[in-house]
Amino acid sequence: MTAVAERPASSNAGSGYPTVASRARDWAMSAPTQLAMREKHLGIWHEHLWGDTWTTILEAAHGLIALGVDVGDRVSIHAEDRTEWVIMDLATVAVRGITVGMYPTNPAAEVEYTLNDCGAKVHLVEDQEQADKVIELPASTFPTVEKIIYVEPRGIRRSEDPRLLFWDDFLTLGREHRAANANAVEQRMAEAEESDVMTLVYTSGTTGPPKGAMLTNKNANFGIDVIIQTPERMAGGKLPGPQDTALTYLPLCHIAERVFSTWALVGNGVVLNFAESIESVNANLREIQPTLFFAVPRIWEKLLAGITIRGAASSPIKKGFMGMFMKLAGWIGRSRVQNNGNWTPLTRVAYAIGWVFMFRAIREKLGMNRVRWAGTGAAPIAPEVLEFFMGIGLNVYELYGMTENTAVATANLHGRVKVGTVGEPYPAIKDGIRIDAETGEIQTKHDANFIGYWGKPDKTAETFTEDGWLKTGDVGEWVDDTHIKVVDRIKHIIITAGGKNISPSEIENTLKTSPFINEAMVIGDRRKYLTALIAIEADVVGNWALSQNMPFTTYRDLSEKEEVIALISKEVEKTNEKFARVEGIKKFRLIPKELDHEDGELTATQKLKRSSVEEAFTDLVEDMYR
Amino acid sequence: MAFGRPLLRRSYQEDAAILPTWFQKGSLVFFLVTLTLAVLGNGFFEWLPIRLFGNTWLGLIVLTTIFGIAALGLNILVGVTGQVSLGHAFFMGTGAYTAVMLGGNVGKEESWKACVPFHDNLGLLESQGECGLGLPIWIWLPMSGVVAALIGIIVSPAAVKVRGLYLAIVTLGLVFIGLHLGRMLPEWAGDFESGRKWPKLDIRLWKEETPLIEISEDGKWFGLIHLTEVQKEFFLIFAILLVMLWFAKNLVRSRTGRALQAIRDRDVAAEVMGVPEFKYKRTGFAISSFYAGIAGALFGAFTGRVSPIQFGLLLSVDFIAILLIGGAGTIAGTMLGTLFVELLPEVVESFTDWLAGQLDSGGPIGLMANFLLTEGGEGDFGPISIATVAPGWPMSVFFWNLVIFGVLIVVFLIFEPLGLFGVWLKVRNYWKGWPFSY
Repeated sequence: MTAVAERPASSNAGSGYPTVASRARDWAMSAPTQLAMREKHLGIWHEHLWGDTWTTILEAAHGLIALGVDVGDRVSIHAEDRTEWVIMDLATVAVRGITVGMYPTNPAAEVEYTLNDCGAKVHLVEDQEQADKVIELPASTFPTVEKIIYVEPRGIRRSEDPRLLFWDDFLTLGREHRAANANAVEQRMAEAEESDVMTLVYTSGTTGPPKGAMLTNKNANFGIDVIIQTPERMAGGKLPGPQDTALTYLPLCHIAERVFSTWALVGNGVVLNFAESIESVNANLREIQPTLFFAVPRIWEKLLAGITIRGAASSPIKKGFMGMFMKLAGWIGRSRVQNNGNWTPLTRVAYAIGWVFMFRAIREKLGMNRVRWAGTGAAPIAPEVLEFFMGIGLNVYELYGMTENTAVATANLHGRVKVGTVGEPYPAIKDGIRIDAETGEIQTKHDANFIGYWGKPDKTAETFTEDGWLKTGDVGEWVDDTHIKVVDRIKHIIITAGGKNISPSEIENTLKTSPFINEAMVIGDRRKYLTALIAIEADVVGNWALSQNMPFTTYRDLSEKEEVIALISKEVEKTNEKFARVEGIKKFRLIPKELDHEDGELTATQKLKRSSVEEAFTDLVEDMYR
Repeated sequence: MAFGRPLLRRSYQEDAAILPTWFQKGSLVFFLVTLTLAVLGNGFFEWLPIRLFGNTWLGLIVLTTIFGIAALGLNILVGVTGQVSLGHAFFMGTGAYTAVMLGGNVGKEESWKACVPFHDNLGLLESQGECGLGLPIWIWLPMSGVVAALIGIIVSPAAVKVRGLYLAIVTLGLVFIGLHLGRMLPEWAGDFESGRKWPKLDIRLWKEETPLIEISEDGKWFGLIHLTEVQKEFFLIFAILLVMLWFAKNLVRSRTGRALQAIRDRDVAAEVMGVPEFKYKRTGFAISSFYAGIAGALFGAFTGRVSPIQFGLLLSVDFIAILLIGGAGTIAGTMLGTLFVELLPEVVESFTDWLAGQLDSGGPIGLMANFLLTEGGEGDFGPISIATVAPGWPMSVFFWNLVIFGVLIVVFLIFEPLGLFGVWLKVRNYWKGWPFSY
């Protein structure tokens, strides 16, 4: 093992306010031969060292200056996670531009909206698919876009759009500019100020059009200092560092992946590994065996469902062992949950036995054999899921934060875990979080609070209280005066006709722990009783149907089968048993189509757009109250 | 960094490594060290349950090694290229006789004249002699491979013309041509029944008296360690096997190897895809015969005296058995098959001997011995005869072995076409997938 450098000291005063770009430069100066990123290409993980990475960032930054990107100009990036994403992001910050990330799944209409809303000057696209979303429309649709840089030339090379520029040519341009103006980028970096907006993070917009949250260098610095560099987060208090590896697979335009990938990279030198695609995450995880792993609840649920299903399909002997050790894992998990995530001597012994026979194998197959810190956030997760993963020995911590406060809010800290809560405020912002006594809303006030929405002062004003606290829109309550439990989004709280306040996400998450259920939406605001729209998990239910010798054709056909309805009905009953009578689901309907981002039913982060779903399936909903 | 991440491939070298993990590298080293120690000192390993590495067994192990080299060759032709051949014994014979003609008759003058066929009629030599040039091993060993390979190339056009069963018949013909030549040319082959002497494995620079490295006598090697003749022969031949193994393994994963496999899977399709059928069938035959030639030369030299009759059809069938039981097309399977086929008869025989010793002892073992063995007396029953070697019921151990192989080949062909290697794959995948099935 090569010696790894410690985190380099922050840049000295003369070189401008520290930004993510200057942090990257510091790494390249102090440890040029250290590994920064890995990217898989044609079956081989290619490694990028800090020295080379910074050279490329510099060339890209010079290229941006050559293209006329000035202080405060927007550079948009529309690509899957890849090294060019990070390089362009850091290069943009280096020239004091503003990075705007877009979800790879964004349809053309949303691309048009976002590009024009932020007024991007340079637009980076990954390939023909993303380029077409811009160049197929008349140039006058995008008055501000001057250059479209593409990374993969296949299918674009012959296009004659004058705005197009190949990535390699862009870097060559940068190299030439660098030869002529050696210090242009360094100069820009030296002028960086703490109030510079460094990125616009577009909120996914469960209601209304997406809004671009402006995050400044100050926000980013505070975010890195508080989230990445809180040693209490980790077992043994060991901060993330160059010996740690992470898999980058969630969209980088989302604040969570940005914090745990780009900022962990420039902040602490965590080695980033770019997954080939979201479909290959499982295989990539097994190859990389990361030490730090962040996932949204949907991923955790899928991992758990994968284990359950594959376990059920294995041979009788294996199944027997599996059943036995899953029980053991359940017991260990419950014990750890009761002990704030800590081990007892008894669970340690039980775990050691389980490790030999089962847990090591399962963790290896999940790609989590070396995970020392795992996080979940961005949406509520069912405690049962966390319990299981804690049972197979993972340290999973639920975190809470949002785009508007740069994801700085609460986290479960090592040894003080309370499952079911989102943890306690980070030690650095003890007094920066409060719960409004009247509305129960969680509010934050600290250096990572964003400065406003891009071009929407009215919306910005709505987001802050009169005394400057950020309104998160989440209802929360204190648990034991230390931890915070998020009840639900304020807008989602259901008040039944009987006047009872009910949080639908808790019920929905319990429903979603069933491997057969993909998505669930509880309805009942101002109604007599609760009902639910449920989307089945096509693969799992399909396999189940096959095992029952039940022929089916399409998703719709499958979800209309009486046997399937009976199957889901059983799952719903199981959920009902866990809740009070008023919180029981009286009726449910299966959604006859797969929910999709492009049809407007899900956001880019796969969150349900409740109003659109309710609208699209009004007849189903009304049918349940007839 | 890659340590503990066995699936992380950072270069094509890593991706194509024969032993990708440190565990596998360590296992190989451990195996080699253990084998060396076991061969070296019976003294160290008295606690081993069987006298597997005593000198009684070592000769057999050397033979197994030699057969392993030949089987590797046949695997390249049958398993990798998919050309059925029953002529492997012929190619082994070619190598063996090339060796004896180039390296035999050390120290005798004029014996080259016997190498010209029909020299009597040409008036070259008065009395009958045996052909041999007395050349050193570094000439005759490679040459025996090369000559066999050349003959293989000459035969290979037949494989383009005929396929499957017909090719088997054509190559079968080679064996009989070989036997006939052996009978026709006593100056080359020696007496048809009793054979002739082969050159020793001593390594000489040229024809000098004291060899550079002494193999054929017990004694100190390099003034360091005392070894018996068989031990020395083992180390030399095992080293050759390792080289051949390494080459075969690399061949299979090279461009040539992939071309050969394409031809195996469907020669017409391969040709359509741009893999020249004739060229690669020729290559397959050449490489396969090269291996056979080397093995034949070593076989002759190690045994010391061989007659043409030994390179008959039975030997060819032995190799087919090795491939089918071990697993055609895989290097590891070939090695497993060789070990199994060559050592099983000895194991069965030793077991019978041991059982015979227990005949008069009481207890369950004596009972079992009584039940299994028969000495041919009145009222003595049991399937295994220890009194007679002739066929008939009860059968002797020798015939039982033949039956066992026949049954095994049938069983493997029906239930496990990948042979012992397939069994290993199944076991490995069972644990690899643990606790899942896929």
